[in-house]
Amino acid sequence: MSERFRAFSFVDRITFSAGGRIEGHYTVPATATRFPASLMAEAVGQLAAWSAMAQLDFAFRPVAGLAAESRYRRIAGPGQMLMLEADIARCDPEAVAYSGRALIDGRVALELIDCVGPMLPMEEFDAPDAVRADFDTLRTTGAAPGRFLGVPAPQIEVQEHAAGERLRATLQVPREGTPYFGDHFPRRPVFPGTLLLDALAGLAVRLAREAMPGPAADALMPTQVGNVKIRSFTTPGTMLELEIDLLQTTEDRAHLKLAARNDGKTIATARMDVGHLEDAQA
Amino acid sequence: MSEQAISQQEIDAVFPKVAQIIADALGCDVDDVKPKVPLIEGLDAESIDFLDLVFRLERGFGVKIPRGKIVEDARGPLPEAEFENKGIVTDAGLARLKEFLTEVPAERFKTPLKAADVPRLFTPETFCKVVIRAQRAAQATA
Repeated sequence: MSERFRAFSFVDRITFSAGGRIEGHYTVPATATRFPASLMAEAVGQLAAWSAMAQLDFAFRPVAGLAAESRYRRIAGPGQMLMLEADIARCDPEAVAYSGRALIDGRVALELIDCVGPMLPMEEFDAPDAVRADFDTLRTTGAAPGRFLGVPAPQIEVQEHAAGERLRATLQVPREGTPYFGDHFPRRPVFPGTLLLDALAGLAVRLAREAMPGPAADALMPTQVGNVKIRSFTTPGTMLELEIDLLQTTEDRAHLKLAARNDGKTIATARMDVGHLEDAQA
Repeated sequence: MSEQAISQQEIDAVFPKVAQIIADALGCDVDDVKPKVPLIEGLDAESIDFLDLVFRLERGFGVKIPRGKIVEDARGPLPEAEFENKGIVTDAGLARLKEFLTEVPAERFKTPLKAADVPRLFTPETFCKVVIRAQRAAQATA
């Protein structure tokens, strides 16, 4: 079975699209083995991407680039529906700029603020006509639910560890043939930036729990991710080096600096706050 | 209509904020951001950093910087066909660039210069001028 429009697609239906505003929804399949929090950001980003691609008649598609700020308030669980919305501030053949949100049961689960996706020729990544047809599906009948099966946990090996201070680790990016590469993207498999952030977040939470021990440490989660910059593509099978440094702790949160390198070259950077979700009990 | 020259005083007025925005975008020390340091060779900026920088400057200064505006301004009144030929900046284009990018020392204008490499010439002062032009444009339409 083709993984295209299935294995890494996080919009089920587009319910509104006009004047730079787009809305839709996505239900986390009850059977999904793993749906990390960063995939909520992927869903909002994909919704914005649909709007941008349609505005440019599917000649270009955005890729992960910059996200000034992401605020996490709730985590989506299996079977929950995410109501997605995005406002496109600018869109041209160079880049799309947008902000957006994901809501669960009417309450904000995630806010994305001032994101920028560089645009690249669609032909490099997928067949424009097929993407146009998918857009029509999303706007009319909607895509079949339950397409996403989950993503594997990141394969991380810690190389250096100063408890509560810093971590150095390697991340083995899955090999080609892993289902999501068939959808991200059909003509050019690229390791999703949101999965890279998921791997970095796991290590950041580990450091934060060491630096902020106590009965509530297990509930610590990424609450804010800032200054995300994805500098280049990562191909299947790559071994990345991850660097996490704890910069500061306050009473209720840890502030960390994250970086990923490929063969010594920095390919992604971000800042992250780890604390307690505002709406964790909702 | 020819552009009113940008004064050193105008550049000095915006430079501290531009330098801080560049430092934030590149993750470098603000003290390393000198007005005439090449952003690519001197501060390791990449194409995604230029995109980041333009959006941060827009937010930081409350101005709009249309996409492609910097290169368009650099080309000035020259039609594209006279500015470059088969991807190489023409003599006329080079003369125009030297006139426009006064912050770039003459020895950095290597020939042949690929049009795609024009951003390699940009410095923090280049972006100060971008901001000043955007501010002027906003005032003109206010």
